[in-house]
Amino acid sequence: MSGRTHTTVLTPQDRIKTFDPYVANLIDRTAWYEASRCIMCFDAPCVTACPTRINIPEFIFRIKTRNYRGSAKIIRESNIFGGECGYVCPVERLCESKCVRNNLGEEPVAISLLQRFVYEMEKPKGLVKFDKAPSNKKKVAVVGAGPAGLSAAYELGRKGYEVTVCDSNAKPGGLLIYGILPWKVAWSVAESEIANIKEYGVRLLTKKPIADAKGLLKDFDAVYISTGATKSAGLGIPGEDLPGVHLAQDFLYKVACYVKGEGKAPELKGKKVVVVGGGDTAIDCAMASLRLGAEKVYVLYRRSLSEMPAVPYGRKQAKEEGAEFMLLTAPVKIIGGNKVSGVECVKMELGSPDASGRRSVKPIKGSEFTVETDVVILAVGQKPDEAALKSFGVKVKDGLIEVDKNYATSIKGVFAGGDAVNGGDTVVEAVAEGKKAAEAIDKYLSGRK
Amino acid sequence: MVTKPDLTVKFCKLELESPYMLSSAPPTCTGEMIMRAFEEGWAGAVTKTIKPDKTAVYDYDNRFGIMGFEDKQMVVFENIEEVTKRPLGTWIKEIKEVKKKYPEKPLIGSLMAEPKEDEWEALARAVSEAGVDMLELNFGCPHGMPERGMGAFCGQRPELIEKLTKASKQGSNVPIMVKLTPNVTDIAFMGKTAEAAGADAISAINTVLGLIGVNIDTFEPMPTVNGKSTFGGMSGPAMKPIAMRCVAQLCQATNIPVSGIGGITTWRDAVEFLLIGANNVQVCTSVMWRGYRLIHDMVDGLTQYLDDKGFSSVKEIQGLTLPKLTAWSKLDKDWEVVAKIDKDKCIKCGICFVGCRDGGYQAIKFEQGKAAEVDEEKCDACSLCTLSCPVPGCITWKRVKK
Repeated sequence: MSGRTHTTVLTPQDRIKTFDPYVANLIDRTAWYEASRCIMCFDAPCVTACPTRINIPEFIFRIKTRNYRGSAKIIRESNIFGGECGYVCPVERLCESKCVRNNLGEEPVAISLLQRFVYEMEKPKGLVKFDKAPSNKKKVAVVGAGPAGLSAAYELGRKGYEVTVCDSNAKPGGLLIYGILPWKVAWSVAESEIANIKEYGVRLLTKKPIADAKGLLKDFDAVYISTGATKSAGLGIPGEDLPGVHLAQDFLYKVACYVKGEGKAPELKGKKVVVVGGGDTAIDCAMASLRLGAEKVYVLYRRSLSEMPAVPYGRKQAKEEGAEFMLLTAPVKIIGGNKVSGVECVKMELGSPDASGRRSVKPIKGSEFTVETDVVILAVGQKPDEAALKSFGVKVKDGLIEVDKNYATSIKGVFAGGDAVNGGDTVVEAVAEGKKAAEAIDKYLSGRK
Repeated sequence: MVTKPDLTVKFCKLELESPYMLSSAPPTCTGEMIMRAFEEGWAGAVTKTIKPDKTAVYDYDNRFGIMGFEDKQMVVFENIEEVTKRPLGTWIKEIKEVKKKYPEKPLIGSLMAEPKEDEWEALARAVSEAGVDMLELNFGCPHGMPERGMGAFCGQRPELIEKLTKASKQGSNVPIMVKLTPNVTDIAFMGKTAEAAGADAISAINTVLGLIGVNIDTFEPMPTVNGKSTFGGMSGPAMKPIAMRCVAQLCQATNIPVSGIGGITTWRDAVEFLLIGANNVQVCTSVMWRGYRLIHDMVDGLTQYLDDKGFSSVKEIQGLTLPKLTAWSKLDKDWEVVAKIDKDKCIKCGICFVGCRDGGYQAIKFEQGKAAEVDEEKCDACSLCTLSCPVPGCITWKRVKK
C-alpha cells in the first residue's frame, strides 16, 4: 500500500468556464483504499498539526470499517466546520505535512479528500448532532458570523448559553460565504454547517452591524468579537488610488456577490490583470480573474517560489489555468491617466534570512521595467477594519484587538478572537480560536476555574 | 551461452517440465480448457473430478464467496461447487484428445464415487484406460458430496481411505495419488494410511471447511443461494499456512511424493512448498482470479530464483527446509535476543509502542516526534514490534546473553 489516491480534476480549460468546484470526491472504493494507507499512528503528528485537533487516525479508521456516521462524529466533535475545513484547509501546511508517510518517502495520506468524503456521506442523513445542556439563562452576544464567531457560538450554545450572533452581511458565514469562492468548496457546505449550528439554539441576526461592544453588555452577560480581517493592506506606492486598482478582499467580496447574483463583478473580460502578492489570497484573485474572462493574469511576487506562502497545490492550479508568475518582481508605481495602464516594477534579489528565517529581498538597481495592464489587484496582506475595532471601545494594538491568553479584551466581559486578533489566519485556526474563547467565556460566566 | 536451471520434476513415473500443475477444479473443467492451459505453459493438469454417471451432481447458482481487503485483494475464496456434471463418456473422449495433442504433458484423472469398492474400481479402470498418466482419488471435497458419503466423508475415515485406495489400485493401470482433506485432526495419519494401502503419491490439501461470511444487512449467510447457505470449501492465499503445515506433516510422515496444494499464488509460494518437501505444486484459485497466464511469471520467477541462489535444478531445493522443522520442545532455549530500533529509519509513528504497551511487555518508550526506544530490560523479544513496524528493516534483533 503506498500510492496516494487522486480523484478526477477537470481540465483547466473546462474549469475556468464556471465558478463551480472542479475536483471530484472519493467514492466508497477509493476512500477505503486511501483510508487503508493510514498507519494509525499513536499520538499522531497530524492531529497535533490540526488547530482543532481532529482525531484523524480514528476518523480514517472508521472509514475503513464503513462506519461513516461514526467517522463524521469524530470530525464534528472537534470541528463544527469539519466539512468546510475538509475542502479549504491548507493541508499541505497542516495535517498532511506531518503525515508519517512523508518520512517513508511517500505522498501523505489524502486526509482532506477523506474528510470531504465523510462530510458527503454524513450530509444525506443530516449532520451529526450532539447533546445540548439545558439553558442556563445566561446570554452571550457574538459580533461577526464568520468561522471564529460561529464556532464560539456553537460551543456556548451547546453548553446552555443563549447566544445571539450579529453580522453586517445579508448572510451569515463571513469569509466562508463572502471570501471563499465556490470552485474550492460549494457554499452549500458552509450553509449546511451554519444551519446545524442554529439547531443548538444559536440566534443569527444578519444585516445588523454592531458598533458599541460595551453597550451590548447591558443586555448580554458576555460579548465575543470576531469581526475578522476584512480589509486589505495596500503597498503605499503611487497610483494605488487609480480606477482599476482593487484591494484583494474587496475584489473577492464583489466576485462572491456576483456569483450569488447579488451584485456586479469587476469587468475583466479580455483585460490584462496584475495580481500583487504571493499568498493564497493572491492565488484566489488570479483564479477568480481567469474565471471572469481576463485575457492575461500575472502574479507578481517579490521573493522566489520557495518563499511563496501560497500552498503549492493552489500555485499549480493557477499556473495550469494560465496565470503567469513573475517572481523576484516588486511593483514600484502604478501608472495611468484616468485609469490604470501599467505597473512599473523592479527586479529583486534575495539576501540572507531574517529573524523569522525568511530571506530578505532588495531591489536590483537599474532593473526597472513596466508591465502593461488594465487592472491591478493588491493581495499583499489582510487586516481588520481598524475603525470598526476602535468603535467597539476595546484596546487595539498594531491594528488588532489586544487580548490576554483567555481571549479577554481590555473590557471586562468582552472577549475577541479569530482574524480580528490574529490578523488573518486560516478558517481552521478561526474555528479553533472560537472553541478556546468559548471555553474561556464559559469559565468567566460560570465562575469555574 | 545462457544456462538455465533445470525445472523438470520426476513425479512417480511422470516427467513434469516444471513443478506447476493445475489442480482438480474449475480451470480443468473441459478438455478444451486443459489444452489452452497446456498451450499457456502449465506442466500438467488434474481434471475436474470425474464421477460415475449414476451419481447425480447439482451446482447452485451463486456458489462462490470471497473475503478480502480493499480493492478486492482476495485472501480467501469459498466455493460450494460439486464435482463435474459432465458424463464419463465425454471425459473419456476429451482425455484422449488432450493426450493425443499433448502426449508429453502429464494428465491426471481425478475420481470420486460412492464409498463402494466396486464403483471405485470400475471408475479407476475406465479413466485410466482412457489414457491418463495418473489417477487422483478425491477424498477431500468438504461440501455437498460428504452429505452423500463422498469426498471428505472418505478422507475423514481411515478404513475408507484404505479400502477405496486398494480398490482403485485394482482397477488402475497407472499410479494412484490420494488427495486428502485438512478437515481432520491428524492428516499425517491419513497419509500413512493411504501409503500403506498402496498409494503412489499424496496431494494435499483440499479446501478447508468454513463459512465465508454473513451479510449484516440481510442477515443471510454467504454465499447466499436464495437467502440460505451452507458451509463451504475455503481456498486462496490465506489457506497457505494450513496447507504448508499439512504438506510438511505428510512429508515427515510418509515416504511417497507429495503434491502441494493450497494458497499458491506466485512462484514464491511454490518455492516455499518445494522447500518443505513438496515434489510439485497444484494451483487453482489464483488462476480462477487472474487466468492461466499466471504460469509465465511462476516459471520465470522460479528460474530466476534458482539462478540467483546458485542452484542448477529445482530438485536441489526440494525438502531443504524440512529438517529445520522440529518439535516446539526442541527449539533453542539459549537463543536470547532483544529488539533494536534503528533511530534513523524510524518514522515516529508509534505503532511499535502502542502494540508493546497494549499487547506486549511495555518495553518501548515513545514520544511524538522522537524515535521509539527499546527498554532492553523489559523486552521479552516476542517480535510483535518487528512485525507491525511499517518500515522494512527498522526493528531488528540484537543478540544478548541474559
